[in-house]
Amino acid sequence: MKVLAFGEIMDGGNSVFSSVAKVDADLLIVSFGGSIRIDNPYKHLEQYLLELDQLIPQEKIGRIEFDFKELDFCNSNGFYIIMDITEMIIDATKGPITVKRLKDDDWQQETLPILLNVDEPEIEARTTFEEFTAI
Amino acid sequence: MITQEELATTNISMRYDLSPIRNIIGDLSGLLGNFSDELIGAFYPKTVSKKANIVITELVNNAVVNSPDSDSKITLEIMVKKDLLRISVTNAANRSQYKRVRDHIRMINTASDLRKLLADTIRERRKDRLGGGLGLIRLAAENKFTLSARYRAPYLIVDSQIGLGGLS
Repeated sequence: MKVLAFGEIMDGGNSVFSSVAKVDADLLIVSFGGSIRIDNPYKHLEQYLLELDQLIPQEKIGRIEFDFKELDFCNSNGFYIIMDITEMIIDATKGPITVKRLKDDDWQQETLPILLNVDEPEIEARTTFEEFTAI
Repeated sequence: MITQEELATTNISMRYDLSPIRNIIGDLSGLLGNFSDELIGAFYPKTVSKKANIVITELVNNAVVNSPDSDSKITLEIMVKKDLLRISVTNAANRSQYKRVRDHIRMINTASDLRKLLADTIRERRKDRLGGGLGLIRLAAENKFTLSARYRAPYLIVDSQIGLGGLS
């Protein structure tokens, strides 16, 4: 497995949010962890977005996995960065998308599908949700 | 031994008054949201405490950002009992701010399709990266809270509540 890119939000000297993009054969795994609470996540994640934009087209990606199980919290300002990351990857690839999410988490159940734009028939047809219980 | 069902009948109430607002320079909404999440989560299921966290984060953040008087206070009140979670946030506001919040809540409460309202608002505001106005819609559409607003000059009080039947 190869790490393509890594982005994080630091607050008060601590890492409060991180996202990692990894490639394993034709599978691209993008995981999200921690909490997005700050007003402007782009200040911290702009470079990550740029790297993803440059590196993903160079890979032969057949399948995508978005893993939100470790994402504890996302404020309204975090919605757009999640949209930008996932949309860029979805647009740059063609394969099936698996979304790992928590079944008891309101935002992952109600709002995440909006951010992933699964109302679009083409994206809906590619997307499968896998439900997990928080530990 | 006490059961989870018995724990989830615990009465909890908390109140925080903070002033002056100009001294709030850190992530107050995060501190209050996370602490309340931990405390409520010690008695109630995570689904309940996480809802409290999100409401506190959104309402306290709105209050801190929108209070026109930096000498004023904000008040957060949290009440949880067996079948109800209620969270209120009070902050200084002028009458036009109150009317804007009242009308926004009225629009949310009369929406025929809250999910569509949330989706349309997210997409509409995305181009400018505007977060404002999303928070209250989110609380209703995503977290299923009932919202209301009152004005006791010069203070705006935003109330949110949800029945816990089926969550506990």
